[in-house]
Amino acid sequence: MPSVASRLRSSSAWAGAALVAASALAPLVFNEYYQSFLLQVFIAIALAQAWNLISGMTGYVSFGHSAFFGLGAYGGALFLTWGFPWWLAVFHGAVVAAILSLPLGVLTLRLRGPYFAIAMLGLNEIGRIVATLWVDLTNGGSGITLSPSLLPSLGMQYFTSLALALGATLLVAWIHGNRFGLELRAIREDEEAAEMVGVNTTLNKVIAFVLSALIPGAMGAVYVMYTSFINPGSAFAHTRNVEMIVMVLFGGSGTVWGPIVGAAIIMILREMLWAEFPEVHLALLGVLLLVVVLYLPGGIVSLARRDRRRRPDVAKAEETPP
Amino acid sequence: MELLEPDILLQLLIGGLLAGALYALLACGLNLIFGVMRVINLTHAELMLIGAFGSYVLYTAFGIHPLISLFLIVPVMFVAGYYFQLVLVERVVERPMLDSLLATYGVSIILVNIGLLIFTADFKSVPVLQGSFAIDDIPISEPRAVAGLISVALTVGVYLFLERTRLGKAVRAVSEHAQVASICGIDVRRIRMLTFGLASAMAAAAGVMLSVIYSFWPGSGIDFIQKCFAIIIIGGMGNFVGALYGGILLGVVESFVGAFVSTQWGEAMAYVLLVAVLLIRPTGLKGVARA
Repeated sequence: MPSVASRLRSSSAWAGAALVAASALAPLVFNEYYQSFLLQVFIAIALAQAWNLISGMTGYVSFGHSAFFGLGAYGGALFLTWGFPWWLAVFHGAVVAAILSLPLGVLTLRLRGPYFAIAMLGLNEIGRIVATLWVDLTNGGSGITLSPSLLPSLGMQYFTSLALALGATLLVAWIHGNRFGLELRAIREDEEAAEMVGVNTTLNKVIAFVLSALIPGAMGAVYVMYTSFINPGSAFAHTRNVEMIVMVLFGGSGTVWGPIVGAAIIMILREMLWAEFPEVHLALLGVLLLVVVLYLPGGIVSLARRDRRRRPDVAKAEETPP
Repeated sequence: MELLEPDILLQLLIGGLLAGALYALLACGLNLIFGVMRVINLTHAELMLIGAFGSYVLYTAFGIHPLISLFLIVPVMFVAGYYFQLVLVERVVERPMLDSLLATYGVSIILVNIGLLIFTADFKSVPVLQGSFAIDDIPISEPRAVAGLISVALTVGVYLFLERTRLGKAVRAVSEHAQVASICGIDVRRIRMLTFGLASAMAAAAGVMLSVIYSFWPGSGIDFIQKCFAIIIIGGMGNFVGALYGGILLGVVESFVGAFVSTQWGEAMAYVLLVAVLLIRPTGLKGVARA
């Protein structure tokens, strides 16, 4: 007899497939406004999944993940201006972000405790300063404007961002179900115990971190095609950082569906508030973060389950007999 | 090279020490909180900015000199910090570090954006104590000297409180081992509240000092918190004296690198030192945190 858990899993696979199909057909029905809104939602989902991969799974909070997005944005923009095809620019964005994340991860993740969080806190700001000062490469504060002839069509951008969001989600789902994911969650629950039973904690953390940097890197390059302009402020936006964190926690940290739900809700909230009251939007995100941490540690997703005070993935692990 | 004149070197050293004293005042409070309750307080820079904006408002609205508003703001912020601990931090203090990081991060976002709504993103400053004086032909900026000396006095004052008084001893006991301290009859909860109050008061005092030296806006926090973290890692997480050394070290290094290389590199020294310490000695000069 199929267990409740496996039935839940297959039903969520169906729901996922339906969502993807609907998203793929959406450009036939919706006008450009809705297409670009959905495109931004896909970007948000991919970013949220990336943050989920390191912080949701291992419990090491990254306060600077938007730096990888900015890096990918510049990496993509430069490749486009140098005349490379757009898909190579996306690839380049991912590679640049991964190259930066590796030494950073090795340096801070071999240590247990708050060092990683502290080192990441200023990363986005540093990215912004470097992009402003390195005028020869980035054109400084005036930014880089891309001519439309270099860019793929909105439809192509739409499907690229959909594919990346889907890829990020599948990556998280796959890791969530395999041994690597189990080891990451073991690190989150008790790192010392995980190490004692033979988990190579440093290696695992660094791999998760580099994977989680690739995704925003690629997405940054897609974003730059969408806006066709990039400057230090828009590439390294502090808001994006906050949103990424709140989306995951609000939706359900360490789960596959949480970041999707969180990203969709926050993006709708943002669409309604952002244009007129950016400060209110950010302050509300802060309030939301506080409420979630204090009262709903499992996020929205956990409301659908019996034991809402627990992290959903932990509760699930306990349901299945050893 | 004329930069190597002894007078110039001495001037740079004094400037660095004075700037470092302000960093130390801020970072010691942050480290006190970490030491006592293993919480990384991401609102620390915003607590400082509350002090700075408090000084700005009192000066522009009522013409009160920042050195007088210090006596108004510091006690108020002590009480605010005391209750902030009771209402919020106390709820996450026993939970994994992730929760306290995220909770204080949330509060910091809220405070910055309320600040932006009230004060806008323009830079503010409190134009008092301008000018400079000279000792043996070495010019010293007056606001920096006043801010630096007051910062030293406050930091040393808190240090003496921790070392010489019974209550200070209780704070150190909780910092060393909360459970054992609790068995010995120390009200750990009250000590934590006292600690947060004390650290908030120190941050606010640093903010008032900051308001007479620099111009600031509600988003200034990130620069300072970043330096503070570098300082407490350099000095050793959780160690009060370590943060004092770290702060002064960073101030002096920034001053020299800023003069000999470039201002931008001076500002980047916090990161350079941080990376060096993480590579060579992750526990810092006098750390209690385990690497």
